[in-house]
Amino acid sequence: MVNLKINGKAISSEAGKTVLQVAKEHKVHIPTLCYHKDLNPTGNCRMCIVEVKGWRALPAACVTPIWEGMEIETSSEKVMKDRKLTLELMLANHPVDCMTCDAAGECELQDLAYEYKAQIPAWGAKGTRYPVDSDPNPFIRVDMNKCILCRRCESACAEIQGRNVWGVAKRGFEEVIVAGAGVPLLEARCESCGQCVAYCPTGALSNKMNYGMARAHQVTDPSRALRRVTTTCSYCGVGCQFDLLVKNNKVIGVSSNPNAPVNGMALCVKGRYGYDYIHHPDRVLKPRVRRYLLEGKSKREIREQRLVASSLVASSLIANPPVSNSWDWVETDWDTALDIVAKKLGDIRKDFGADSMGFLTSAKCTNEENYLMNKLARQVIGTNNIDHCARL
Amino acid sequence: MTNKKIIHRPISAEIEELAREHGNDPETALELLKEIQSRHSALTTDSVTDAARALKLPPSKLYGMATFYSMLSLEERKRVLRVCDGPVCWLKRASKDSGQLSVSSNQLSVNSGQSPVSSPQLVNEWKDKFSGEFSVERTSCLGLCDRAPAVLVEDEQAGPVEANEANKVCEGWRGVPTDYSEIRKGEVRVMTALIGKIDPDSIEDATANGVYDGLKKALLSEPTVVLAEVESSGLQGRGGAGFPVGRKWRFVASEKRTPRYIICNADESEPLIFKDRVLMDTNPHQLVEGMTIAGYACGASEAWVYIRGEYEFQARRLERAIEQAESKNLLGENILGTDFSFGIHIHRGAGAYICGEETALIESLEGKRGEPRLRPPYPPTFGFRGQPTAVNNVESFCAVPHIINHGAEWWRNLTSDPTPGTKVYMALGHVKNPGLFEAPFGLTLREIIEDFGGGMLPGSHFNFALCGGAAGTIVDESLLDTPIDFASSQKGISLGAGSFLICDQTVSPVAFLRELLHFFAAESCGKCTPCRVGTWRSLEILNRMVSGNAQMGGVDELKALADLMQDSSFCGLGQSVAIPMKSALTHFGAEFGKVEGLKV
Repeated sequence: MVNLKINGKAISSEAGKTVLQVAKEHKVHIPTLCYHKDLNPTGNCRMCIVEVKGWRALPAACVTPIWEGMEIETSSEKVMKDRKLTLELMLANHPVDCMTCDAAGECELQDLAYEYKAQIPAWGAKGTRYPVDSDPNPFIRVDMNKCILCRRCESACAEIQGRNVWGVAKRGFEEVIVAGAGVPLLEARCESCGQCVAYCPTGALSNKMNYGMARAHQVTDPSRALRRVTTTCSYCGVGCQFDLLVKNNKVIGVSSNPNAPVNGMALCVKGRYGYDYIHHPDRVLKPRVRRYLLEGKSKREIREQRLVASSLVASSLIANPPVSNSWDWVETDWDTALDIVAKKLGDIRKDFGADSMGFLTSAKCTNEENYLMNKLARQVIGTNNIDHCARL
Repeated sequence: MTNKKIIHRPISAEIEELAREHGNDPETALELLKEIQSRHSALTTDSVTDAARALKLPPSKLYGMATFYSMLSLEERKRVLRVCDGPVCWLKRASKDSGQLSVSSNQLSVNSGQSPVSSPQLVNEWKDKFSGEFSVERTSCLGLCDRAPAVLVEDEQAGPVEANEANKVCEGWRGVPTDYSEIRKGEVRVMTALIGKIDPDSIEDATANGVYDGLKKALLSEPTVVLAEVESSGLQGRGGAGFPVGRKWRFVASEKRTPRYIICNADESEPLIFKDRVLMDTNPHQLVEGMTIAGYACGASEAWVYIRGEYEFQARRLERAIEQAESKNLLGENILGTDFSFGIHIHRGAGAYICGEETALIESLEGKRGEPRLRPPYPPTFGFRGQPTAVNNVESFCAVPHIINHGAEWWRNLTSDPTPGTKVYMALGHVKNPGLFEAPFGLTLREIIEDFGGGMLPGSHFNFALCGGAAGTIVDESLLDTPIDFASSQKGISLGAGSFLICDQTVSPVAFLRELLHFFAAESCGKCTPCRVGTWRSLEILNRMVSGNAQMGGVDELKALADLMQDSSFCGLGQSVAIPMKSALTHFGAEFGKVEGLKV
């Protein structure tokens, strides 16, 4: 154990922890910007600086380990002054368009600027350095004017997704985040997972599909018919959780839920951006069966009819043979559909035996659904012919 | 939705072959990029991507490097002529027209919308002279301060030369390195003793004059004895910080993990400083010897010299020296029949001042952008390839053979100053006899000017001096008689790497500080906010002041920015930018105030 003092309060903590971790455990607030608990700390932004007795410079709390006898001041006058000025240096070159910015409300820079009463300097580029919406990626909106070079996108892409798409180019004031060798995202092997968007503390990276549709703080406001619904992704069996952003009963977007037990902030392109099927007009919402099944006809009958019709066409005897519409899909209710399935399965089992059937389940199903399928195969039908697509 | 397909493009056969020659080793990324550039006159998005794929690295990392190092370029270039844009060359150039040394000379276009870092005027002056033969580029400093104003013609150092003498350069004139064989009155030469006395490319000459005697002596005793000797000598690192060399080596030697590495920091990129170049140029074997002794003392078997890319001439000379030493079994396997084996590699940088910071140097050596690492852990425990590593300056290594040869006692007795041994000094600016000399610690600025520098130039009187290096203190005459050593920075005058730029009454401290910030803003790596934006903004304020467009509050803002950079920057670069700023504002506050009052 290491004994130290934070703001005069004696604390003992495990060796190897950083000042920021210990402060957090003891409810001492230290502002951060480039730091994120999921990512390796880099110490770039210099917002979490603290004063350590006996040290001339102010070390960054996120990367400074604690040591025996350390005395830390987290909000001395010097610290507060430097944090404020650092913020102002960021704001000088950041567009002052919070009123129209998609990130307003969840922008960490905005919160800190407010907290520190930062004055936006009259000098600086103010967001005129790069083209807005500069990347053709269909999901990720890039506006490097708003970038404060915290490099969380770079870390998220490298450490979470393992793609290393984002990198840092040039140096000094010219420094800029680029994809690959200065190419559009998709050419730089981007999978469009949007991890970088989730970790971006400002509006530099945002979601293109719901840009301008609702801001984070509005999405919990029932008076605006907006809400946030935590749900499990339906694409595969991993069971990632996230929040659906719902506006007027329509899903307008997906937002990482940091408390998701399986995936944390991470999502893949399907989970994060593949939600447009939800309200798609082609989406099948009710069970459908072939009309002949409702009519009580057999499949053989229908097939023969169709064969005759097509051979007539082939031999050019007639141009448009009268085809029955018994093959069409017809919307029906669940009971009817399930009855048909149950009856057919029963018939097959009776005629050809249980092992004439096989069950293949899907990775899109949850564990529980797959378990039930296994029950159905082994106990109801009585066969061990069951497999899963993910075993291939 | 876009239906754009990313078409697979195979790696160009040429780049694949080049990468294979480098063993597909990611550490060789910088060399690979340089080679591709030299073959095709520029890097391209495709060639950078291919190089990355061949080395199994993300293209973003290599692109980051290609745009980080100033010697790499994605723009098509012919033969490259690099014009030194550093403060010493500025002083030399501007001294011809003293109007430029003062403020409100309007030589800067403040509102041109151009980045304040670029110096279009200087580059254009040269460009006009060449109509197509060379591509002209600015460079922050060439390390040729004693040949200012200097240029680098591809690999060849040239100077002193002005833009109007460009045809001379075209015809092949390069000038000669300054001769330091003459010993000044009061000098005590140890590391520079053989300047002009030996042929630097001849190992026979070197050994006949006692080089490698220290190594031979060291190998007769145990490594611990050698280490103890260096420790008791009190040798302090000569890169500027003055960290005890022995203590650093002790940290490395006491680490259990092997292999351990020795790195020589020859990335001498700070304006005012050129001593390492002279040391390598005049006696390369001394450095090889010192590094080998360090390897023996620390239990290391491999070493690198990280030499700046602009010192190609010196790099080749060192390579020759290493080859010769190997042929004499003074380097390589089982040196002089002992169990000790040691190899030295030369690694060329590609133009980045920040790579002189030891952790940035290690990053660069590992084939990455030269950005400083988090500290702790420090290089002695976690350095090159994560192994224990001793990083020392050229001059530090050069001192070691003499300490071993003559003993720690002798080294301590060279001086009466508390700091033991001698130091290589550089005096520049408006003194009669500028240049390099070696003397004990504790000289005063007055001694440097009067005794070693031969006094001020006729008609000049002392106005201020920049002491240490570009990141040193700017002092006025009140500190002329303060003895200077590593501890004197407490009193307001720093030793740094031992360089002193003396400026007379014609030079405005405001205009001069602008030149320094111009350098720092161009060389900031951009990792942390205070240095990235702080240097840029300070330069902007100073640009306005110099061109007579100062706005009220500029001085206060400079002070606040200096405080911020000193307290909060990530590494030594940002932290030390504040030193010249603060000292200039302390000693010449009135001058700055006057400038601010110009236009209210």
